[in-house]
Amino acid sequence: MAVDGVRARTATPVRRILALGGHDFSFRPPDRAVCELLLRLAGERGGERPRICILPTASGDTSDQIAGFYSAFGERSCETSDVSLFRLGRRPMELRDHLLAQDLIYVGGGSMLNLLAVWEAHDIASILSLAWRQGVVLAGQSAGAMCWFEAGITKSSGRPLAAAGLGLLGGSLCVHYNNEPERRAAYLDAVGDGMPSGYGLDDYAGLLWEGEGSPSAVTARRGARAYRVSRREGDVAESPLPARFLPAPAPAALREDIAEFRRIKTMRKRAGWLG
Amino acid sequence: MEMATRQIVAFGGGGFSMESGNPLLDDYVLGLTRAERPRVCFLPSASGDADHYIVRFYRAFSAHRCEPSHISLFRREQGPSDLRRHLLSQDLIYVGGGSVVSLLGVWRAHGIDSILREAWESGVVLCGLSAGSLCWFEEAVTGFHGEPKRLRGLGLLPFSNCVHYERGAKRGEAYHGFLREGMCGGYAAEDGAALHFTGAELSRVIASRPQARGYRLDVTGSRVVEMQIATTYLGDREAVPAAPLPEALSTAPAV
Repeated sequence: MAVDGVRARTATPVRRILALGGHDFSFRPPDRAVCELLLRLAGERGGERPRICILPTASGDTSDQIAGFYSAFGERSCETSDVSLFRLGRRPMELRDHLLAQDLIYVGGGSMLNLLAVWEAHDIASILSLAWRQGVVLAGQSAGAMCWFEAGITKSSGRPLAAAGLGLLGGSLCVHYNNEPERRAAYLDAVGDGMPSGYGLDDYAGLLWEGEGSPSAVTARRGARAYRVSRREGDVAESPLPARFLPAPAPAALREDIAEFRRIKTMRKRAGWLG
Repeated sequence: MEMATRQIVAFGGGGFSMESGNPLLDDYVLGLTRAERPRVCFLPSASGDADHYIVRFYRAFSAHRCEPSHISLFRREQGPSDLRRHLLSQDLIYVGGGSVVSLLGVWRAHGIDSILREAWESGVVLCGLSAGSLCWFEEAVTGFHGEPKRLRGLGLLPFSNCVHYERGAKRGEAYHGFLREGMCGGYAAEDGAALHFTGAELSRVIASRPQARGYRLDVTGSRVVEMQIATTYLGDREAVPAAPLPEALSTAPAV
């Protein structure tokens, strides 16, 4: 099979997962910063026009979530698609081929319980696990972040409860750490009661696993943090992790203005107008 | 102890989801409850709890004729917290269409499958179209996505089921194939036709369109026998209520 330089697979692709504590697809700076990171991760595998696919299963495939995704990525340099398991009737596709052909698979938030149940019913979990082993970046926020771990804290049944995930990553994750005190409290109790230790993620904080070893923390909003949460001498300890700040790119319209300004500046320089 | 009447009405297709302006099937299931202001709960799980679908339900089952509610399993924080209590207190549970595979997965995750069995046994009328019809049976033919597939339902009715059984549809051919491969015998219904079961017996086939029909399918040896079932068109004012079925169509489960 003919492959270009970027798409050629090394013998053992790096397994990457980006877990996000919570974000939106808006055009506010922290949201743009998150999307920029997603695009960069996809591009590292897929080159100039990486393939990015959203799985909006946890929301019940709401058009809001799907539209948000397309508005964030539709105009960027990437091939976007969505796999809406509740809408396959109107738009049949080969799930396995489609998912394995992606550079990044993004899982939206919603009900973690329903997400995993529907994936199991459609046999998606094994495809995602294979995609991960083949180097497709797996990413997601909220339910779409916790699903990759052994366990998470979900409000799928109303109040926060522990739920099992796919277990691609060891340990547990709790999302919306700063925003939902009752979820955080349930997590600390659960870890105290024997749930595997793990991480807490504020909205706009993320953890990136690349290959073996510890994840690196990122944050798209000042003050948003990632925490290591572990049992220590009968108590549960939270320790914030040092995080790399993700700057927000200028919005598209502004980017054009800046480019224009730079062009003019260069022209002036050449003409000797500016020193 | 008196056993409650267990009733399921399985639409091949129709009702407010598919026949806007034709309330015949929806009126029929409301009538079965024998309640003055029946409590009706809509389960839109097969659609992923699509907002527009829920809105259409509330339009069709407006508060002046019944007490409507719905359960969104994707937004549990908003609905009734005790699902079992809410479902068991209904007169009618109406299941919407969509992906039956997703429907069954989500129901199991929330324990709805066993609650629905309990509701049925306690006399709550169960109904639905498409995925909301297939789910009640032992086995079903789903054509929602790609080639028709065979799948296991909740098994309240010990038969197989196929919906949208229109002439020349791919799933009809597939259904016959599955029956030859050992799928249990069962029923098919065209859009606009509905199978009304009392206990595990088919009591009648009703229709919201004059031409819509239901079918009984059985296997003898390697041959599939398909019989059209006498159907009562609900729009006909002279329709004889509860026309008895010929003996040949009675519903002993195929072994």
